[in-house]
Amino acid sequence: MNGQAELTAAQELRLREVYAILHELAADCEVPAVVAAARAALAEVHTALAGQAIEFEFYSQRWLEAGT
Amino acid sequence: MKTSAQADTTLVGYWNKRTETMPRAELAEWQWEKLRRAMAHARRYSPFWRERVPDGINSLEEYFDRVPLVYKKDILAAQQADPPYGTIPSTDPRLGIRHHQTSGTSGNPPVRTFDTARDWALSTDTFCTSLYAMGVRPGYRGMVAFGYGLFMGFWGMHYGLERLGCTVIPVGGLDSRTRVRLLVDYQIEVLGSTPSYAMRLIETAKEMGVDLARDANVKVVMAGGEPRPESTTRAIADAFDARVLNAAGTTELGAMFMFECPVLANCCHIIEPTVIEEVLDPKTRQPVGYGQPGVRVSTSLGREGMQLFRHWTDDLVIRRPWHDCPCGRTWDYYDGGIIGRTDDMHKIRGVSITPVMVEDVLRGFPEVSEFQAVLRRIRGLDTVVLRVEPKGGDQDTLRERISTAMKREIGLRPDVELAEVGSLPRSEWKTTRFYDERSS
Repeated sequence: MNGQAELTAAQELRLREVYAILHELAADCEVPAVVAAARAALAEVHTALAGQAIEFEFYSQRWLEAGT
Repeated sequence: MKTSAQADTTLVGYWNKRTETMPRAELAEWQWEKLRRAMAHARRYSPFWRERVPDGINSLEEYFDRVPLVYKKDILAAQQADPPYGTIPSTDPRLGIRHHQTSGTSGNPPVRTFDTARDWALSTDTFCTSLYAMGVRPGYRGMVAFGYGLFMGFWGMHYGLERLGCTVIPVGGLDSRTRVRLLVDYQIEVLGSTPSYAMRLIETAKEMGVDLARDANVKVVMAGGEPRPESTTRAIADAFDARVLNAAGTTELGAMFMFECPVLANCCHIIEPTVIEEVLDPKTRQPVGYGQPGVRVSTSLGREGMQLFRHWTDDLVIRRPWHDCPCGRTWDYYDGGIIGRTDDMHKIRGVSITPVMVEDVLRGFPEVSEFQAVLRRIRGLDTVVLRVEPKGGDQDTLRERISTAMKREIGLRPDVELAEVGSLPRSEWKTTRFYDERSS
Protein backbone atom coordinates (compact mmCIF):
# COMPACT_ATOMS: atom_id res chain seq x y z
CA MET A 1 0.00 0.00 0.00
CA ASN A 2 1.94 3.02 -1.22
CA GLY A 3 -0.65 5.77 -1.51
CA GLN A 4 -0.27 5.82 -5.31
CA ALA A 5 -2.30 2.76 -6.29
CA GLU A 6 -5.43 2.65 -8.44
CA LEU A 7 -8.19 0.08 -8.62
CA THR A 8 -7.95 -2.50 -11.42
CA ALA A 9 -11.01 -3.36 -13.51
CA ALA A 10 -11.20 -6.81 -11.89
CA GLN A 11 -11.07 -5.29 -8.40
CA GLU A 12 -13.78 -2.80 -9.29
CA LEU A 13 -16.01 -5.63 -10.47
CA ARG A 14 -15.49 -7.55 -7.22
CA LEU A 15 -16.27 -4.44 -5.20
CA ARG A 16 -19.52 -3.91 -7.08
CA GLU A 17 -20.47 -7.58 -6.56
CA VAL A 18 -19.76 -7.39 -2.82
CA TYR A 19 -21.84 -4.23 -2.59
CA ALA A 20 -24.81 -5.84 -4.33
CA ILE A 21 -24.62 -8.92 -2.09
CA LEU A 22 -24.42 -6.81 1.07
CA HIS A 23 -27.45 -4.80 -0.06
CA GLU A 24 -29.46 -8.01 -0.40
CA LEU A 25 -28.44 -9.23 3.05
CA ALA A 26 -29.00 -5.81 4.63
CA ALA A 27 -32.53 -5.63 3.23
CA ASP A 28 -33.76 -9.23 3.42
CA CYS A 29 -31.94 -11.12 6.15
CA GLU A 30 -33.83 -11.57 9.42
CA VAL A 31 -30.97 -12.78 11.60
CA PRO A 32 -30.18 -9.76 13.80
CA ALA A 33 -26.45 -10.42 13.99
CA VAL A 34 -26.13 -10.94 10.26
CA VAL A 35 -28.21 -7.95 9.21
CA ALA A 36 -26.23 -5.73 11.63
CA ALA A 37 -22.97 -6.94 10.15
CA ALA A 38 -24.25 -6.53 6.60
CA ARG A 39 -25.42 -2.96 7.22
CA ALA A 40 -22.15 -1.99 8.90
CA ALA A 41 -20.14 -3.55 6.08
CA LEU A 42 -22.41 -1.96 3.48
CA ALA A 43 -21.64 1.49 4.89
CA GLU A 44 -17.91 0.79 4.61
CA VAL A 45 -18.09 -0.60 1.09
CA HIS A 46 -20.36 2.25 -0.04
CA THR A 47 -17.69 4.64 1.23
CA ALA A 48 -15.03 2.82 -0.78
CA LEU A 49 -17.19 2.97 -3.93
CA ALA A 50 -17.87 6.68 -3.42
CA GLY A 51 -14.16 7.32 -2.89
CA GLN A 52 -13.49 5.72 -6.25
CA ALA A 53 -16.34 7.66 -7.91
CA ILE A 54 -18.04 4.39 -8.83
CA GLU A 55 -21.30 4.53 -6.89
CA PHE A 56 -23.14 6.86 -4.58
CA GLU A 57 -26.65 6.50 -3.23
CA PHE A 58 -28.94 7.31 -0.34
CA TYR A 59 -30.24 3.94 0.74
CA SER A 60 -31.00 3.65 4.49
CA GLN A 61 -34.54 5.07 4.38
CA ARG A 62 -35.55 2.22 2.09
CA TRP A 63 -35.19 -0.25 4.96
CA LEU A 64 -37.80 1.56 7.03
CA GLU A 65 -40.12 1.89 4.06
CA ALA A 66 -39.78 -1.82 3.40
CA GLY A 67 -40.42 -2.50 7.09
CA THR A 68 -37.09 -4.25 7.60
CA MET B 1 11.32 22.01 12.61
CA LYS B 2 9.04 19.88 10.46
CA THR B 3 6.09 22.23 10.05
CA SER B 4 4.87 23.27 6.64
CA ALA B 5 7.49 21.54 4.53
CA GLN B 6 8.32 23.44 1.36
CA ALA B 7 7.23 21.52 -1.74
CA ASP B 8 8.56 18.18 -0.55
CA THR B 9 6.68 15.86 -2.91
CA THR B 10 8.13 12.76 -1.21
CA LEU B 11 5.38 13.37 1.35
CA VAL B 12 2.61 12.78 -1.20
CA GLY B 13 0.22 9.90 -0.59
CA TYR B 14 -3.38 9.51 -1.68
CA TRP B 15 -6.15 7.77 0.23
CA ASN B 16 -8.20 7.62 -2.99
CA LYS B 17 -5.98 8.53 -5.89
CA ARG B 18 -8.94 8.26 -8.26
CA THR B 19 -10.94 11.15 -6.82
CA GLU B 20 -8.00 13.11 -5.44
CA THR B 21 -6.35 13.52 -8.84
CA MET B 22 -9.47 13.57 -11.04
CA PRO B 23 -9.36 16.10 -13.89
CA ARG B 24 -11.36 19.18 -12.90
CA ALA B 25 -14.05 18.69 -15.54
CA GLU B 26 -14.62 15.13 -14.39
CA LEU B 27 -14.67 16.24 -10.76
CA ALA B 28 -17.32 18.84 -11.59
CA GLU B 29 -19.44 16.16 -13.28
CA TRP B 30 -19.10 13.87 -10.24
CA GLN B 31 -20.06 16.74 -7.91
CA TRP B 32 -23.07 17.60 -10.05
CA GLU B 33 -24.22 13.96 -10.12
CA LYS B 34 -24.01 13.78 -6.33
CA LEU B 35 -25.74 17.13 -5.88
CA ARG B 36 -28.54 16.11 -8.26
CA ARG B 37 -29.16 12.96 -6.20
CA ALA B 38 -28.85 14.89 -2.92
CA MET B 39 -31.49 17.42 -4.01
CA ALA B 40 -33.88 14.68 -5.13
CA HIS B 41 -33.45 12.89 -1.80
CA ALA B 42 -33.97 16.10 0.18
CA ARG B 43 -37.08 17.06 -1.77
CA ARG B 44 -38.57 13.64 -1.22
CA TYR B 45 -37.97 13.30 2.52
CA SER B 46 -37.21 16.65 4.19
CA PRO B 47 -40.00 19.25 4.65
CA PHE B 48 -37.39 21.88 5.57
CA TRP B 49 -35.35 21.41 2.42
CA ARG B 50 -38.34 20.88 0.17
CA GLU B 51 -39.30 24.50 0.87
CA ARG B 52 -35.81 25.71 0.00
CA VAL B 53 -34.63 23.49 -2.83
CA PRO B 54 -36.93 23.94 -5.83
CA ASP B 55 -37.66 21.22 -8.34
CA GLY B 56 -36.17 21.22 -11.82
CA ILE B 57 -32.67 22.54 -11.16
CA ASN B 58 -30.57 21.50 -14.11
CA SER B 59 -27.12 22.92 -13.50
CA LEU B 60 -24.80 24.11 -10.77
CA GLU B 61 -25.26 27.71 -11.90
CA GLU B 62 -29.02 27.31 -11.56
CA TYR B 63 -28.49 25.77 -8.12
CA PHE B 64 -26.50 28.81 -6.94
CA ASP B 65 -29.11 31.08 -8.47
CA ARG B 66 -32.29 29.46 -7.14
CA VAL B 67 -31.42 27.92 -3.76
CA PRO B 68 -31.37 30.51 -0.96
CA LEU B 69 -28.56 30.74 1.57
CA VAL B 70 -29.32 29.02 4.84
CA TYR B 71 -28.12 30.64 8.07
CA LYS B 72 -27.48 29.18 11.49
CA LYS B 73 -30.56 30.98 12.79
CA ASP B 74 -32.71 29.15 10.20
CA ILE B 75 -31.37 25.77 11.33
CA LEU B 76 -31.82 26.66 15.00
CA ALA B 77 -35.35 27.94 14.42
CA ALA B 78 -36.33 24.73 12.61
CA GLN B 79 -34.88 22.61 15.39
CA GLN B 80 -36.46 24.69 18.15
CA ALA B 81 -39.87 24.35 16.52
CA ASP B 82 -39.75 20.57 16.72
CA PRO B 83 -36.83 19.33 18.86
CA PRO B 84 -34.42 17.75 18.58
CA TYR B 85 -33.87 17.89 14.81
CA GLY B 86 -36.91 19.77 13.50
CA THR B 87 -38.15 19.13 9.99
CA ILE B 88 -34.61 19.02 8.61
CA PRO B 89 -33.82 15.26 8.53
CA SER B 90 -34.01 13.48 5.19
CA THR B 91 -34.05 10.06 6.80
CA ASP B 92 -35.91 8.91 9.87
CA PRO B 93 -33.75 9.80 12.94
CA ARG B 94 -34.32 6.24 14.17
CA LEU B 95 -31.71 5.28 11.57
CA GLY B 96 -29.15 7.40 13.40
CA ILE B 97 -26.36 5.52 15.12
CA ARG B 98 -24.99 8.58 16.92
CA HIS B 99 -26.03 12.06 18.00
CA HIS B 100 -23.87 15.17 18.27
CA GLN B 101 -24.44 18.83 19.01
CA THR B 102 -22.57 22.08 19.24
CA SER B 103 -21.70 23.68 22.57
CA GLY B 104 -24.50 26.23 22.52
CA THR B 105 -22.20 28.93 23.86
CA SER B 106 -22.86 32.64 23.24
CA GLY B 107 -26.41 32.18 24.45
CA ASN B 108 -27.56 30.22 21.39
CA PRO B 109 -29.20 26.81 21.67
CA PRO B 110 -27.05 24.00 20.22
CA VAL B 111 -27.21 22.78 16.64
CA ARG B 112 -28.13 19.09 16.85
CA THR B 113 -27.30 16.42 14.36
CA PHE B 114 -27.25 12.67 13.84
CA ASP B 115 -25.51 10.23 11.53
CA THR B 116 -26.74 7.04 9.95
CA ALA B 117 -24.19 4.22 9.70
CA ARG B 118 -23.70 5.16 6.05
CA ASP B 119 -23.15 8.83 6.89
CA TRP B 120 -20.74 8.09 9.71
CA ALA B 121 -18.63 5.88 7.45
CA LEU B 122 -18.41 8.71 4.90
CA SER B 123 -17.58 11.23 7.62
CA THR B 124 -14.86 9.00 9.00
CA ASP B 125 -13.43 8.64 5.53
CA THR B 126 -12.91 12.40 5.25
CA PHE B 127 -10.65 12.09 8.31
CA CYS B 128 -8.82 9.19 6.66
CA THR B 129 -8.31 11.33 3.54
CA SER B 130 -6.86 14.09 5.70
CA LEU B 131 -4.71 11.91 7.94
CA TYR B 132 -3.29 9.87 5.07
CA ALA B 133 -2.41 13.07 3.21
CA MET B 134 -0.64 14.33 6.32
CA GLY B 135 1.57 11.25 6.35
CA VAL B 136 -0.21 9.09 8.91
CA ARG B 137 0.11 5.41 8.01
CA PRO B 138 -1.22 2.05 9.24
CA GLY B 139 0.60 0.91 12.35
CA TYR B 140 0.98 4.36 13.87
CA ARG B 141 -0.18 4.95 17.41
CA GLY B 142 -2.55 7.87 17.86
CA MET B 143 -3.93 10.03 20.64
CA VAL B 144 -6.95 12.26 20.18
CA ALA B 145 -6.89 14.68 23.09
CA PHE B 146 -10.49 15.72 23.60
CA GLY B 147 -13.34 15.05 25.97
CA TYR B 148 -15.17 12.31 24.02
CA GLY B 149 -18.47 14.08 24.67
CA LEU B 150 -21.30 15.65 22.69
CA PHE B 151 -19.06 17.66 20.35
CA MET B 152 -18.58 15.98 17.01
CA GLY B 153 -15.09 17.53 16.87
CA PHE B 154 -12.47 14.86 17.07
CA TRP B 155 -14.69 11.78 17.21
CA GLY B 156 -14.10 11.38 13.48
CA MET B 157 -10.36 11.39 14.03
CA HIS B 158 -10.65 8.54 16.54
CA TYR B 159 -12.66 6.47 14.09
CA GLY B 160 -10.54 7.60 11.15
CA LEU B 161 -7.36 6.38 12.84
CA GLU B 162 -9.01 3.03 13.53
CA ARG B 163 -10.19 2.74 9.93
CA LEU B 164 -6.71 3.60 8.72
CA GLY B 165 -5.22 0.76 10.75
CA CYS B 166 -3.68 2.79 13.55
CA THR B 167 -3.80 1.99 17.27
CA VAL B 168 -5.71 4.60 19.22
CA ILE B 169 -4.89 5.27 22.87
CA PRO B 170 -8.17 6.75 24.18
CA VAL B 171 -7.60 9.61 26.61
CA GLY B 172 -11.05 11.12 27.20
CA GLY B 173 -11.42 12.13 30.84
CA LEU B 174 -7.68 11.97 31.54
CA ASP B 175 -5.81 15.03 32.75
CA SER B 176 -3.00 16.74 30.84
CA ARG B 177 -0.20 15.22 32.94
CA THR B 178 -1.43 11.69 32.25
CA ARG B 179 -1.75 12.48 28.57
CA VAL B 180 1.84 13.75 28.45
CA ARG B 181 2.99 10.59 30.21
CA LEU B 182 1.10 8.40 27.70
CA LEU B 183 2.56 10.34 24.77
CA VAL B 184 6.02 9.45 26.02
CA ASP B 185 5.37 5.92 27.30
CA TYR B 186 3.63 4.72 24.14
CA GLN B 187 5.79 6.77 21.76
CA ILE B 188 2.63 8.02 20.07
CA GLU B 189 3.19 9.20 16.49
CA VAL B 190 0.04 11.19 15.75
CA LEU B 191 -1.75 13.65 18.01
CA GLY B 192 -5.06 15.38 17.43
CA SER B 193 -6.10 18.45 19.42
CA THR B 194 -7.00 22.11 19.15
CA PRO B 195 -3.98 24.41 18.89
CA SER B 196 -4.92 25.83 22.31
CA TYR B 197 -4.83 22.42 23.91
CA ALA B 198 -1.57 21.48 22.20
CA MET B 199 -0.09 24.59 23.86
CA ARG B 200 -1.51 23.39 27.16
CA LEU B 201 0.17 19.99 26.73
CA ILE B 202 3.48 21.76 26.01
CA GLU B 203 3.12 23.84 29.15
CA THR B 204 2.27 20.77 31.22
CA ALA B 205 5.21 18.82 29.80
CA LYS B 206 7.55 21.64 30.79
CA GLU B 207 6.15 21.60 34.34
CA MET B 208 6.84 17.85 34.42
CA GLY B 209 10.37 18.26 33.12
CA VAL B 210 9.48 16.45 29.89
CA ASP B 211 11.07 17.58 26.64
CA LEU B 212 8.46 16.51 24.08
CA ALA B 213 10.83 16.93 21.14
CA ARG B 214 13.37 14.63 22.78
CA ASP B 215 11.27 12.25 24.89
CA ALA B 216 8.13 11.79 22.78
CA ASN B 217 7.84 10.56 19.20
CA VAL B 218 5.04 12.66 17.71
CA LYS B 219 5.48 13.00 13.94
CA VAL B 220 2.17 14.64 13.02
CA VAL B 221 -0.07 16.97 15.01
CA MET B 222 -3.49 17.46 13.46
CA ALA B 223 -4.40 20.78 15.05
CA GLY B 224 -7.91 21.89 14.19
CA GLY B 225 -11.07 23.38 15.59
CA GLU B 226 -10.02 27.03 15.84
CA PRO B 227 -8.08 29.63 13.83
CA ARG B 228 -4.52 30.26 14.97
CA PRO B 229 -1.61 32.42 13.88
CA GLU B 230 1.52 31.03 12.26
CA SER B 231 3.45 31.79 15.45
CA THR B 232 1.32 29.29 17.40
CA THR B 233 1.78 26.62 14.71
CA ARG B 234 5.53 27.21 14.89
CA ALA B 235 5.56 27.00 18.69
CA ILE B 236 3.76 23.63 18.61
CA ALA B 237 6.00 22.30 15.83
CA ASP B 238 9.15 23.31 17.71
CA ALA B 239 8.00 21.86 21.01
CA PHE B 240 7.08 18.46 19.52
CA ASP B 241 9.56 18.49 16.63
CA ALA B 242 6.60 17.40 14.51
CA ARG B 243 4.68 18.52 11.45
CA VAL B 244 1.69 20.58 12.59
CA LEU B 245 -1.12 20.55 10.08
CA ASN B 246 -4.48 22.24 10.01
CA ALA B 247 -7.85 20.60 9.37
CA ALA B 248 -11.48 21.56 9.80
CA GLY B 249 -15.01 20.25 9.65
CA THR B 250 -18.35 21.40 11.02
CA THR B 251 -21.23 19.86 12.91
CA GLU B 252 -23.65 21.17 10.29
CA LEU B 253 -21.71 19.46 7.50
CA GLY B 254 -20.98 16.36 9.55
CA ALA B 255 -17.58 15.86 7.95
CA MET B 256 -14.18 17.36 7.33
CA PHE B 257 -14.12 19.83 4.46
CA MET B 258 -10.40 20.70 4.35
CA PHE B 259 -6.96 19.55 5.47
CA GLU B 260 -3.51 21.10 5.21
CA CYS B 261 -1.21 19.56 2.64
CA PRO B 262 2.31 18.79 3.91
CA VAL B 263 3.68 19.69 0.48
CA LEU B 264 2.77 23.41 0.51
CA ALA B 265 2.67 25.57 3.61
CA ASN B 266 -0.82 26.79 4.58
CA CYS B 267 -2.46 25.01 1.65
CA CYS B 268 -5.70 23.55 2.99
CA HIS B 269 -7.20 21.40 0.24
CA ILE B 270 -10.99 21.34 0.04
CA ILE B 271 -12.31 17.77 0.00
CA GLU B 272 -14.30 18.58 -3.11
CA PRO B 273 -16.00 15.25 -3.78
CA THR B 274 -17.70 15.67 -0.39
CA VAL B 275 -18.56 19.33 -0.46
CA ILE B 276 -19.29 22.20 -2.84
CA GLU B 277 -17.71 25.35 -1.46
CA GLU B 278 -18.59 28.86 -2.63
CA VAL B 279 -16.78 31.98 -1.44
CA LEU B 280 -19.04 35.04 -1.32
CA ASP B 281 -18.54 38.69 -0.54
CA PRO B 282 -19.81 39.27 3.03
CA LYS B 283 -21.79 42.33 2.00
CA THR B 284 -23.01 41.73 -1.55
CA ARG B 285 -23.33 37.91 -1.22
CA GLN B 286 -21.83 37.67 -4.71
CA PRO B 287 -18.97 35.25 -5.56
CA VAL B 288 -15.42 36.53 -5.19
CA GLY B 289 -12.53 35.31 -7.32
CA TYR B 290 -9.46 33.29 -6.43
CA GLY B 291 -7.23 35.14 -3.98
CA GLN B 292 -10.03 37.37 -2.66
CA PRO B 293 -11.24 37.03 0.93
CA GLY B 294 -14.85 36.04 1.39
CA VAL B 295 -17.26 33.94 3.41
CA ARG B 296 -17.37 30.19 2.92
CA VAL B 297 -20.76 28.80 1.85
CA SER B 298 -21.01 25.05 2.12
CA THR B 299 -23.13 22.36 0.45
CA SER B 300 -22.89 18.78 1.67
CA LEU B 301 -22.69 16.13 -1.02
CA GLY B 302 -22.44 13.19 1.32
CA ARG B 303 -25.04 12.83 4.02
CA GLU B 304 -28.44 11.20 3.68
CA GLY B 305 -29.73 12.09 7.19
CA MET B 306 -28.88 15.72 7.93
CA GLN B 307 -28.30 17.36 4.58
CA LEU B 308 -27.00 20.86 4.01
CA PHE B 309 -27.53 23.19 1.06
CA ARG B 310 -25.76 26.54 0.75
CA HIS B 311 -24.89 27.08 4.40
CA TRP B 312 -23.52 30.54 5.22
CA THR B 313 -20.74 29.67 7.68
CA ASP B 314 -19.35 33.10 8.66
CA ASP B 315 -15.86 31.59 8.10
CA LEU B 316 -13.52 33.93 6.24
CA VAL B 317 -11.36 32.19 3.64
CA ILE B 318 -9.18 32.87 0.61
CA ARG B 319 -9.54 30.26 -2.12
CA ARG B 320 -6.74 29.45 -4.55
CA PRO B 321 -6.57 27.10 -7.53
CA TRP B 322 -5.46 23.49 -7.14
CA HIS B 323 -2.48 23.80 -9.49
CA ASP B 324 -0.67 26.19 -7.15
CA CYS B 325 0.09 23.16 -4.97
CA PRO B 326 2.48 20.59 -6.49
CA CYS B 327 1.03 17.59 -4.60
CA GLY B 328 -0.98 16.42 -7.62
CA ARG B 329 -4.42 16.79 -6.08
CA THR B 330 -6.92 18.56 -8.27
CA TRP B 331 -8.73 20.03 -5.29
CA ASP B 332 -8.68 23.79 -4.80
CA TYR B 333 -7.49 25.04 -1.45
CA TYR B 334 -7.99 27.65 1.23
CA ASP B 335 -4.84 29.64 1.80
CA GLY B 336 -4.22 29.52 5.54
CA GLY B 337 -7.46 27.63 6.20
CA ILE B 338 -10.08 29.65 8.03
CA ILE B 339 -8.44 33.02 8.50
CA GLY B 340 -11.13 34.38 10.79
CA ARG B 341 -14.84 34.79 11.21
CA THR B 342 -17.03 37.68 10.24
CA ASP B 343 -18.21 37.87 13.84
CA ASP B 344 -14.58 37.81 15.13
CA MET B 345 -13.65 41.19 13.70
CA HIS B 346 -13.88 44.00 16.26
CA LYS B 347 -13.35 47.70 15.69
CA ILE B 348 -11.57 49.66 18.37
CA ARG B 349 -11.08 53.35 17.71
CA GLY B 350 -11.15 52.67 13.98
CA VAL B 351 -8.66 49.80 14.15
CA SER B 352 -9.81 46.29 13.16
CA ILE B 353 -8.67 43.64 15.61
CA THR B 354 -9.19 39.86 15.74
CA PRO B 355 -8.29 37.22 18.35
CA VAL B 356 -5.70 35.73 16.00
CA MET B 357 -3.92 39.10 15.63
CA VAL B 358 -3.62 39.44 19.42
CA GLU B 359 -2.48 35.83 19.80
CA ASP B 360 0.17 36.36 17.14
CA VAL B 361 1.70 39.29 19.08
CA LEU B 362 1.59 37.49 22.43
CA ARG B 363 3.23 34.30 21.08
CA GLY B 364 6.31 36.50 20.67
CA PHE B 365 6.55 36.58 24.47
CA PRO B 366 7.69 33.18 25.73
CA GLU B 367 7.13 34.38 29.28
CA VAL B 368 3.35 34.56 28.64
CA SER B 369 1.55 31.25 29.13
CA GLU B 370 -2.08 32.31 28.64
CA PHE B 371 -4.06 35.45 27.99
CA GLN B 372 -7.49 37.03 27.67
CA ALA B 373 -8.51 40.13 25.77
CA VAL B 374 -11.48 42.17 26.94
CA LEU B 375 -12.89 45.02 24.91
CA ARG B 376 -14.24 47.54 27.39
CA ARG B 377 -15.49 51.11 27.34
CA ILE B 378 -13.50 53.05 29.93
CA ARG B 379 -14.56 56.66 30.53
CA GLY B 380 -16.27 56.64 27.16
CA LEU B 381 -13.22 55.36 25.32
CA ASP B 382 -13.09 51.90 23.69
CA THR B 383 -10.11 50.09 25.22
CA VAL B 384 -8.46 46.68 24.92
CA VAL B 385 -7.67 45.22 28.32
CA LEU B 386 -5.17 42.37 28.05
CA ARG B 387 -4.93 39.99 30.99
CA VAL B 388 -1.75 37.95 30.66
CA GLU B 389 -0.55 35.10 32.77
CA PRO B 390 3.25 35.21 33.17
CA LYS B 391 5.45 32.16 33.69
CA GLY B 392 8.73 33.63 34.84
CA GLY B 393 11.16 35.91 33.05
CA ASP B 394 11.38 39.64 33.50
CA GLN B 395 7.90 40.48 34.70
CA ASP B 396 8.77 44.03 35.75
CA THR B 397 8.88 45.26 32.19
CA LEU B 398 6.49 42.71 30.68
CA ARG B 399 3.41 44.96 30.70
CA GLU B 400 5.21 47.78 28.97
CA ARG B 401 6.87 45.50 26.40
CA ILE B 402 3.54 43.89 25.47
CA SER B 403 1.84 47.24 25.24
CA THR B 404 4.57 48.56 22.94
CA ALA B 405 4.48 45.44 20.74
CA MET B 406 0.69 45.66 20.39
CA LYS B 407 0.95 49.32 19.39
CA ARG B 408 3.66 48.51 16.86
CA GLU B 409 2.00 45.38 15.34
CA ILE B 410 -1.70 46.19 15.52
CA GLY B 411 -1.84 49.93 16.06
CA LEU B 412 -3.50 49.88 19.47
CA ARG B 413 -2.01 50.37 22.92
CA PRO B 414 -3.87 48.11 25.38
CA ASP B 415 -4.13 48.24 29.15
CA VAL B 416 -2.10 45.20 30.27
CA GLU B 417 -2.87 43.43 33.55
CA LEU B 418 -0.89 40.55 35.03
CA ALA B 419 -3.06 37.61 36.14
CA GLU B 420 -2.28 35.01 38.80
CA VAL B 421 -0.48 31.91 37.51
CA GLY B 422 -3.07 29.28 36.57
CA SER B 423 -6.02 31.67 36.93
CA LEU B 424 -6.99 32.00 33.26
CA PRO B 425 -9.14 29.23 31.81
CA ARG B 426 -7.71 26.51 29.56
CA SER B 427 -9.81 24.24 27.44
CA GLU B 428 -9.28 21.14 25.36
CA TRP B 429 -11.86 22.41 22.90
CA LYS B 430 -12.20 25.94 21.54
CA THR B 431 -10.64 28.33 24.02
CA THR B 432 -12.46 31.65 24.36
CA ARG B 433 -9.94 34.41 24.85
CA PHE B 434 -11.86 37.38 23.52
CA TYR B 435 -14.70 39.16 25.26
CA ASP B 436 -16.49 42.26 24.04
CA GLU B 437 -18.14 43.92 27.04
CA ARG B 438 -18.96 47.16 25.27
CA SER B 439 -22.57 46.29 24.56
CA SER B 440 -23.29 44.58 27.89
